[in-house]
Amino acid sequence: MTSRSQILDRIRAVTGPASKGTGFSPYKTSPRISGALAPEGHPDLPRTYIRNGSLTTSARIALLIERLREYDADVTVCTATDLDACIAHRLRASGRLTFAAPPGLPASWLAPGFDWKLDNDLSHEQIEHCDGVVTAAFAAIADSGTIVLHHSDREGRRILTLLPDWYLCILRVGQIVETLPEYFDRCSQPPALATYISGPSATADIEMTRIKGVHGPRFLNVIVVHDEAQSSFENN
Amino acid sequence: MRASLFVTCYNDTLYPETGRAVVRLLQRLGVALDFNPGQTCCGQMHANTGFRAEAFSQAKRLVRLYQDTETVVIPSSSCVAMIRDQYHGLFEELGNEELRRQFAALLPRIYELSEFLIDKLGVEDVGAYFPHRVTYHASCHGLRGLHLGDRPFRLLSKVRGLELVPLQNLDRCCGFGGTFSIKNAEVSSAMLSAKLGDILDTRAEYCTALDNSCLMHLGGAMHREFAAMRTVHLAQILASTEASPLEETA
Amino acid sequence: MTHVAPNLDPRTAATFPQAALPILRNTQLRKNVAHATDVIQAKRAKLVAEKADWQALRTAAAAIKDDVLANLDAYLEQFEDRCTAAGGTVHWAADASEARRIIVDILREEQASEVIKIKTMTSAEIQLNPAIEAAGIHAIETDLAELILQLGEDEPSHIVAPALHVNRSQVREIFARCMGLPDLTDDPQILTAAARTYLRKQFLSVPTAISGANFLIAETGSVAIVESEGNGRMCLTLPRTLVALAGIEKVLPRFRDLEVMLQVLARSATGERMNPYTSLWTGVTPGDGPERFHVVLLDNGRSAILGRKVERQTLRCIRCAACQNTCPVYRQTGGHAYGSVYGGPIGAILTPQLMQMQHAQSLPYASSLCAACYEVCPVKINIPEVLIELRAQVVDQERNHGARIFDPMYLGMRIANFLFASAGRFRFAQRLGRIGLRFFTGKDGWIHSLPSLGARWTMTRDLRGLPDQTFRDWWAKRPKEGQ
Repeated sequence: MTSRSQILDRIRAVTGPASKGTGFSPYKTSPRISGALAPEGHPDLPRTYIRNGSLTTSARIALLIERLREYDADVTVCTATDLDACIAHRLRASGRLTFAAPPGLPASWLAPGFDWKLDNDLSHEQIEHCDGVVTAAFAAIADSGTIVLHHSDREGRRILTLLPDWYLCILRVGQIVETLPEYFDRCSQPPALATYISGPSATADIEMTRIKGVHGPRFLNVIVVHDEAQSSFENN
Repeated sequence: MRASLFVTCYNDTLYPETGRAVVRLLQRLGVALDFNPGQTCCGQMHANTGFRAEAFSQAKRLVRLYQDTETVVIPSSSCVAMIRDQYHGLFEELGNEELRRQFAALLPRIYELSEFLIDKLGVEDVGAYFPHRVTYHASCHGLRGLHLGDRPFRLLSKVRGLELVPLQNLDRCCGFGGTFSIKNAEVSSAMLSAKLGDILDTRAEYCTALDNSCLMHLGGAMHREFAAMRTVHLAQILASTEASPLEETA
Repeated sequence: MTHVAPNLDPRTAATFPQAALPILRNTQLRKNVAHATDVIQAKRAKLVAEKADWQALRTAAAAIKDDVLANLDAYLEQFEDRCTAAGGTVHWAADASEARRIIVDILREEQASEVIKIKTMTSAEIQLNPAIEAAGIHAIETDLAELILQLGEDEPSHIVAPALHVNRSQVREIFARCMGLPDLTDDPQILTAAARTYLRKQFLSVPTAISGANFLIAETGSVAIVESEGNGRMCLTLPRTLVALAGIEKVLPRFRDLEVMLQVLARSATGERMNPYTSLWTGVTPGDGPERFHVVLLDNGRSAILGRKVERQTLRCIRCAACQNTCPVYRQTGGHAYGSVYGGPIGAILTPQLMQMQHAQSLPYASSLCAACYEVCPVKINIPEVLIELRAQVVDQERNHGARIFDPMYLGMRIANFLFASAGRFRFAQRLGRIGLRFFTGKDGWIHSLPSLGARWTMTRDLRGLPDQTFRDWWAKRPKEGQ
């Protein structure tokens, strides 16, 4: 008898149909799976918590910016037409030279005058020697100031946004949601890889003193871009 | 209004003045109060120490004693919490269906003292006079078990002459915990020391609460240390008037 | 300074009251613990106050975990199926020794001479590091707190902030000595920078890593890890081989369930709306992260807890440590007094159960039953209810033991029950008690010293002498007014 069957047998002995009176909750009737579970969740589970946000677009953006700034992130807002120039400006202001970028990053974002390392199978050492990294994102959650990466080719492999000390993330206004449940609404299917960034790395392990930047980028920069195409929705 | 007093085993033996205060107070409010001398204990000490079979027999006794009683008043939030939180489980586990039903019928008729005053009698001003500086400690069972909320404060706020001083960390446990105070006497004393610091900082003359268990622990340390403060049960404050001030005890 | 590592092996650790005593005399530690728990509690309270749907989230979180427990076999099988389909390898460990063997075998297969670790309480539970070292492999803790403990030859005292009992000058001393940095100051910024430099080399060179898991997602076969420092992200993406160790109760049904669990976890654990980094990955992704991924599912007593009606809520735990932060007992003793890697309120119920009630029987009594833990638990574990249940089991086990027949507590309880069984007996006992205690009562009407169990009271508290008249006697004798 393998440990697998031993463990499963032990579990079934107390939760299976033959174990009446062991006082399990009503959710015992959840389907015993062979196929997929309903992704929205078990129909009977109490979900009275807040699902949808209530802020207007501009309030939502303002909230995200406030949260990001609470984390000492440097946040700039610009329009789509000004984006390339805005990126160049931020890169110059950083005083850094060598930037990593995911292979699918829009070419116009690769401002001239910098040493760009496109991640076509860069080695760890090569990424480690980059002064900074620039990527897009999948979404941002205003309530918690969270940037969400699903690591597409515009967002880069996970190590790309981990090793360099300076990170610039380009966020479209349309990508910003207010609540965490709204982000999950955006996921037409679960991502295979995801990283949720809510501030630079930090520790409070020494006397509860919050120290920024243990591992992971110490400098977080965000550009929030108003899409021209989205402008008609700004009054929502 | 008729009611029966379950004074609790430890009030009966150690703090009879609390029982007397409840009698004085409720009679002043026009309650026809009686006392069933068959009562002993609710079983909390046994239940919380792990002596479940013993707790069951005491619980059974209590339910049988009061099964025909209209209303039961108990000046101890931990005993009421015992009845509300654990009796059902005890009867299910060790008892019988009949007892469980009798208990279910009795349960809504059981009141902690401040609940009885505010919810059943509908009074906040009980006509009390207690011209002293007082601080209130929120006993854990009353606070988290019974969700008494602001009832004690509403009662205290109507006591003439009383100056209520807020207590820092008022919801932090005093460290009594029943047999915990014996089995883990050192830790209990460490918690007591921390709590006493907050209480003495109020510079009140009296520390009050709804449970003499907490007050026995806090007051015991105050006395040991010659602190300039004493403990008094809320019932004693509410029972005091100009004509009948606080009954002086040692 | 001579230093003896605390004993956190429940099979051999001192009982809680014994272990607590020297700790209570360590004012430095008590100050550190009080400060740390105050800070996190305050942060948590502020965020909970601003969250209008906090109670609804707790209800949902508890319901999700109950659904998991009710269908644990199905969800585990689904997780295994999906994780394997995504390129992971799933192992099942019935107990701690099997888990150790599986992990050491994987490391040997990898010919690992070193392994980097992300903080995982589960690995401490199974005493993994000594087994790894015994196999000639060097385990390197990369979480700052775990690094402090490893270099300081110390043990964790808190589930989320394991080095909470250590202050900055103690950290300075440890780092200066072990990292060869004699000029190090005790500024937390400088200390953290020293750790960053020290660990960077390891992240970039050690090809094998061990992690725990905060959540296993059955629907997708994914694993989620929640952290603050970034050492997790390092260990999850840089090495060639990753081994994740997870208790079987860590599984969640759906990806979507994270919308509840992440909201309650961060607020409860560190008082943040969201922790700095949360990583989610599924099996193996070519080109991104480890080429080889193993999950070790650990039972080690959890399936036994599942079978117990009152106790099974223990398995809802998401290891946030809010209970530790709020516990007035833990505040005075810190975690080491519990003789287990799991201390505080959750430790008091989990450890004895993982030990099949053969050890750690003092832990269910390490509580005043104040219920502050229940109030803050994000998955609504009624810890006091479980404590009382475990106390009943301890007593039932002990009652028939020869040793207990003359134990004053056991004897006293039996006698008290006998006396409470009739009003007549009770009155008699009251009289006897009053007479007996008179001997100990001073002229001021107070008792300052008692023998036997009573001495445990009078060591720090006086006791007012029994009044001359009980309430019931006063009632019986008082002039009757018209009723």
